[in-house]
This record gives sequence, C-alpha cells and structure tokens, in this order.
Amino acid sequence: MFNPLDHKGIPLDKQVRSWRELDVEPIDPEAVDPYTRCRIITMNGIETEAILFSHQFARNNADVDVRRQLAFTRYAESQQQRVVNWLLPGLASVLETTLGYEQVAVDLTAWVARHEPDPYLRQAYEFGVLEDFDHLYRYANLYEMVERRKAEKVVDALTEVMPGRPTVVEHRHPFDEVRTPYDKNAVDAQSKLNALTILSAEQQVMIYYMNVGPQYMEPIARQLYQEISLIEQEHVTHYESLLDAGENWWERLLTHEYNECWLYHSFMEQESDPRIRAIWELHLQMELGQLQVAADLLRRYDGREPEQIVGSAGVPEPLRFEPNKEYLRHLLATQIDLNKLGEGYVREAHERFEWMQEQLHAGEQPPSERVIGMHRDEFGDEYRIETEGPHPVESLRAREGTRRA
Amino acid sequence: MPDDTTEDVVDLLLDQHARIEELFLLAAGAGGRTRADAFAELVRLLAVHETAEEEIIHPLSRTLPGDNDAMVDERLREERAAKETLAALIDGGVDSPGFETGIMLLRTSVLEHARYEERYEFPRLRRHVPPDRLRQLAVAVRAAEAVAPTRPHPGAESATANLAAGVPLAVVDRIRDAVRGAAGS
Repeated sequence: MFNPLDHKGIPLDKQVRSWRELDVEPIDPEAVDPYTRCRIITMNGIETEAILFSHQFARNNADVDVRRQLAFTRYAESQQQRVVNWLLPGLASVLETTLGYEQVAVDLTAWVARHEPDPYLRQAYEFGVLEDFDHLYRYANLYEMVERRKAEKVVDALTEVMPGRPTVVEHRHPFDEVRTPYDKNAVDAQSKLNALTILSAEQQVMIYYMNVGPQYMEPIARQLYQEISLIEQEHVTHYESLLDAGENWWERLLTHEYNECWLYHSFMEQESDPRIRAIWELHLQMELGQLQVAADLLRRYDGREPEQIVGSAGVPEPLRFEPNKEYLRHLLATQIDLNKLGEGYVREAHERFEWMQEQLHAGEQPPSERVIGMHRDEFGDEYRIETEGPHPVESLRAREGTRRA
Repeated sequence: MPDDTTEDVVDLLLDQHARIEELFLLAAGAGGRTRADAFAELVRLLAVHETAEEEIIHPLSRTLPGDNDAMVDERLREERAAKETLAALIDGGVDSPGFETGIMLLRTSVLEHARYEERYEFPRLRRHVPPDRLRQLAVAVRAAEAVAPTRPHPGAESATANLAAGVPLAVVDRIRDAVRGAAGS
C-alpha cells in the first residue's frame, strides 16, 4: 500500500513554477475521455479547498513563522490549482463544464458511498448523490435548449441522465441539513478522506454555480443556476457537518495534504491521457513535499506524530472514476422519497419541510420544474440518456412525447 | 426538432454548429465510406452555414449599436482561413495521407470560430434585433439548406471526387441567391 509519509517528494523551495510551466495546453473537449475531465474538475475542487482552508488557518493563527510557512505552501497550491483548472479548454461553454461538474458529483459521490465503511456516513453520500443526479438531468435539458447540443457529447454514455430526487423537494429547512459528525478517534482513516473529498468537490460546485450563473442571458438559465447553487450550498452544510470539529488546525492541515496525496496517486494510476498523467505524477511529488511541511508543523506545535492522525497503513485503495449505473438505479429504486429531519432520515413531509417549501416556492413552480416544461414545449419531449432501460421509479418514467420533425 | 414558427435564426445556426461538431467527429474518427459520407455532408453544411453567416449575420452585426467592425472582420478572416484549409482537403481527398492532420486543423479552427460567434456575436443579435426579424431570417437560412443538394452528384464514384470536381462553387452561388432572395423578402 502506498504510504505518503514514507516519501520526501519535491522540497517546497523547488516548487515555484515559471510562466512557461504554468502555460498548460488545455484538453481537447471533442476528444477527451469524460473521466479525464472529471479528474481535472475534482482536483480543481481539492486544490481550491486547500487554498481556502490555508487562508482560514492563517487568519486564526497569530504566529508570523506559521503564517509564512502557510503562505509558502499556499502559493505552491495556488499554482497547482491554476495548472489543473487551466487544463479546461476555452472552447467549452459554461454549461458544458457544468455538465462535467455534475458528472463528477454523481460518479465521485457514488464511488465514495460504495467504499465508505461507516453506515451513517454512507447514508449521507447515498442521500446526496440522488440530488446531484437530478441536477445533471435538469442542466442537460437546459443545455439542449440554450446551446442546441446534447449532453451525451459531454458525459458520453458513462453516466445516465434522468430524474433523481426531484430538485423541487431538495429545498429543506437549513436546520435539517446539519448532520452528526464522525468521532475522529473512532472513525476509519478512509472515512476522514472520503468526507473531505466530497466536501471539497461540492464546495467547488457551489462556488462555480453561484458565480457563473449570471453570465447567461436566457432567464431560465439564470434562474436554474440560482436554484441549484442554493442546493449545492446546502450540500456543503450537509457534508461539512460530518467532520469532527474537535480536529485541530494542525491535524486538519495534515489531513488535507494527505488526502491530496491519495487523490493524485489514485488519478495517476487511472489516467488514460499520458500528458495529464504526468501532471498528476508531478503534483503527487509536490504534495509529498507539502505533507512533510505539514508533518513538521504538527510535530512542532501540536506535539504529535502524523501517524497518530492518519495511521501508518498508507492510503486507501485508489479512488476511481467509473460507471455506477447499477448502483445508482438501486438507490433510485429504494431511496428516492427519503427526506431529512433533525440529524436523521425520514420518509414523510414533516412540518418544518413544508414550511420551507411554502416560503421558497410561494405557490409557483421552481426553475428546475419549468426547465423541463419548457424543453417539452420546444422539443416535444425531455432530454434523457437511459442506457439500462426505463427509469426504475415508475412515476419518474418519461411521459409519452414525440420529437417534432 | 423544435417548432419552425418559434425558432429564430440564432437557434438554427446553433443547430448547425451542433451538426458540424458531430460531422467532424465522424470525418476525423471514422473510416471508409462513413468518413467519406461525413466529409461530403460536412462540406455541404459548411457551405450553407458560412454563406448564411456572410450574407445575413455578419452584415447585420455591423449595423448594431457600438463598433462591431473589428469583431466581424475577425470572424470573416477566420472563415477565409477555414475555406483555404477546406479547399486543400477537398483537393487531396479523404484517402490522402495528409487528410487526418488537415481535418483536425480545420476542426479546431471551425469550432473556435463557432464558439466566438456564440459568445460575442449571437448574444448581441438577440439583444438588439427584434425577435420577429430574427424569426424571419431563419426562413432565409432554411431556404439556403433547401437549395444545397444533400449529396453532390448522387450516384457518382465518390462524394469526395464530386466535391473536387467543383461542386462547392456552383452550390455556393445557388445558396447565396436563395439567402438573398429570402432575406430581402
């Protein structure tokens, strides 16, 4: 098993890159493996979280030496983020990148759910993935309306496109988004990495939608981004509340670096594009160097060894992007009508849920419903990719509709 | 497909961009007869599409508020460059050794050109031109599609040979006449 703590990596003072090194060739959107795009989007979210976390850490620590050390590592992470995110091509539209984000949210969360040892945490991922699955379907319909192209161009047939838990019922009272955290001393080391990974990915989705949404002129596009970005914010609340608030800044820094090592190592193993694989490999070596810095800070200021935080067994098995169609169909068939109450899950529409729905919808259809209606009006049907047969939930099967010639 | 009565000229051009992307995938990725057919259809569609843009869209853009000449000139320059690459590909034919490299170059320049239009030109049309006028102009683009033969000289040896035999110029003239007639009415 790969143990990042056994490697020195590239020392931090060898990590500053020149303009030439930052000027990466973007992927070809017409020819790229969709899961290469997913790995890029994932690592962008991971690096973004690393940067934001480091800024918060610095604002909460008055020691100038610590602040300088954090600033140096953060600069290297910022260059990593610029390289990773700049692999996305200018040729792709905002909506095409959005479809990539939702494919990440679906297949990344599904993989994590399948590999999560703790049942309560697994339930949190299973719950969340059915919501992102629905967003993919809503955006795919918007995409065909606004850009006259089919989502299959982006997601290929690797991920199905059909309704999940309908976005209209994803709006709950914020109290009910808050979960029970894991216990940092009792939970499996993989659970910590899983939680941080999904939190980072969802946070990036939220940041992206809340910023790019107003770039559209079409009212329905602006409105749909507004609605789904609010759900993504609730997802960040949902996932961040799983983390143990008792983890101090030093151990959280270590976990962040360790997690980045796990993910770059995973993607290096799986990457189909040799040029991109070389970037994952380089970034892994950089992260190993950054992990050493975090481990030194932990020893010096917290008096603990890194193994006390992440164990000495090495990283979990490599995280993989792969189709999760059967698993998602199983979740659709068994958990579509699940709702949240307090820190648990229920099947009824309780009072607090109804209150929130009334405040927000105010007797009208939300954009996520209207986008499907508008698509039906314009094209005669809905856009779906159902490669494995009809929708497992009968009430969510496509209504009869014919494309107008 | 969407309803003809609500579709405007921007919708139609977006549809064509989507079809052009698909045909490039086939022409670059497939082999044999599929490649030859896709390339022939691509040549036809590009002729229809670029003629409609040159005759209707770009002149209209020049009349919109603000100075749009530099943007339009840049789009026209891209179109000219793409035509030269296309002519070389037609001359060489789908079986020539340089075809694969050439079609990828053409694909990149055509798709970039299309994205520039979608990002900087079409939104201005939707913002400044009355919806009725944009719907009328869709009629002109449909007329252009109607006069372009679905297969140049059907039944002949190969589609590529037909194209090389000078069909595009004649076709373009007919398309241009159709566009001008419909747009002016």
